[in-house]
Amino acid sequence: MNQTVVSYLSQYEFYDTLLALFKNNQGALAFTIYLLLSLAIVGMCATIGGLGTYAERKISADLQARIGPNRVGPYGLLQMLADGVKMMTKEDIMPFTADKMLFYLAPLLCLTGVFATLAVLPFSGGFIMADLNVGIFYLVAISSLVGVGVFLGGYASNSKWSMLGGMRGASQIISYEIPVTISILAITLLSGGMSFGTIVGHQGGLPHEWFIFHNPFSFLAFFVYGVGALAETNRAPFDLPEAESELVSGYHTEYTGMRFGFFALAEYIEVFVVCGVAASLFLGGYQVPGISLDILPIQAVQFVIFMTKTLLLYYVVIWIRWTFPRLRVDQLMAVCWKYLTPIAIFNLVGCAIWTVAFNGKSIAELIFGGGH
Amino acid sequence: MFIQLLFASSATLTVGCALGVLATKNLMHSCIFLLGSLMGVAGLFATLGADFVAVTQIMVYMGGVVILMLFAVMLTGGKDFISRAQNLLGLPSSMGNKWTYSVGGLVGLVLLLTNIRLISNVMNSHAPKVIGDEYPSTVSQIGHLLVKDHVLAFEISSVLLLGALVGAAIIARPRKQK
Repeated sequence: MNQTVVSYLSQYEFYDTLLALFKNNQGALAFTIYLLLSLAIVGMCATIGGLGTYAERKISADLQARIGPNRVGPYGLLQMLADGVKMMTKEDIMPFTADKMLFYLAPLLCLTGVFATLAVLPFSGGFIMADLNVGIFYLVAISSLVGVGVFLGGYASNSKWSMLGGMRGASQIISYEIPVTISILAITLLSGGMSFGTIVGHQGGLPHEWFIFHNPFSFLAFFVYGVGALAETNRAPFDLPEAESELVSGYHTEYTGMRFGFFALAEYIEVFVVCGVAASLFLGGYQVPGISLDILPIQAVQFVIFMTKTLLLYYVVIWIRWTFPRLRVDQLMAVCWKYLTPIAIFNLVGCAIWTVAFNGKSIAELIFGGGH
Repeated sequence: MFIQLLFASSATLTVGCALGVLATKNLMHSCIFLLGSLMGVAGLFATLGADFVAVTQIMVYMGGVVILMLFAVMLTGGKDFISRAQNLLGLPSSMGNKWTYSVGGLVGLVLLLTNIRLISNVMNSHAPKVIGDEYPSTVSQIGHLLVKDHVLAFEISSVLLLGALVGAAIIARPRKQK
């Protein structure tokens, strides 16, 4: 059934106390909890997105033997606040020939698509806004709004750079959705459900119980998912939509101030979401090794574990960006259609055969005989 | 309370954006209004408790069809078509004449009556249908139905999609240089 954070909290005694405060109005209490938690999650992820820009600069500086931002606050940590203030105070320029309605709408569509995915991201066993039955499917579907936003941003600006960037962005996002979705499908097959609760619940806390080491095909699927996810979030080496040496800055060339900030924020939060999905699908998600109790302090430990895995993947994404050169457009499409998609389909069939042949057991279970 | 709010906002979005599709003269804007309208339909499905259908609606229409439409409109000229719009009889009016209005109205009336007849027994009990005990969720129920009762339709549609894929590949392949 559809688990939510409210149904999780309602098993504790303090929920009844809260209910009495709300004069036994279930709906009002549920609405308040949802409202507060949504604000908390959006605020937290916006901060992570902002810190992402800082991490990006600091890590790139490390890799290139520079210092990076170090003026604002200790170690330059407040750089993102300075950037935010700068963006808000900039003039909001609307190009004269732009399509006004679409120009306003595009950054909002990008940000909406990314924030909507946060509803099903499993931060811990209980701290997940709604553990939908169709969780991962919902996430894949709603994040396609980002593609529409990128495309509209390119079209509405009425400039050639933006147009090329928007077209590249939209075609890249809808192409790479295919290998990513098929890789996710392989994991859905292994876990027997599309909700994040089911998928994470089928894994354990230790590496040999994770889906990445479940069988050779899921190991490959992790890398297919990783490459596809990099391309879907327009990160280097797939950042063709905003290739600065060819297209100025692609689909957001004409955007200024906070509208540009929305695009940038959407990109950084999307990277976080994609890393979180990779962590929960392949790397055991929030599972704590060796503990099967379900009490509130464990939730905090689970949250920390999930965030650690996600942020480590985030580091790898930034690392890849500053290590690899950018692909050409034809190479990009060849990688997707000639390599990733066939490999992903091969993985899907392989996982299906493995599930039938070995009765769903992982390699570790086969070698060490069932128990773990 | 929450269901009523969801229904009211989804219905407003669906009808309002559908009117927007008709009212605007810019094809790109029409596509975006269509996006909103389809989102509203997904909300209506969610109101009825059909979570899988709602998400499929978002996936297929918003992620696929609308982007395809945007591409097609943009590559074929977009709003430049407004000035050259003609109806079937070659008249300058882009919205048809008395003849097209009367035929269109008649067809619409027949469709409306047929639809009302078809869904009349659903309208009488509007509560969401509770799924059976044997299935844990709507997803598994749909999965079982697809590969058991409706396997023929499922296979036929997959062959159709395969045909479409092969056709697209044949049309798009590079011609041999002579």
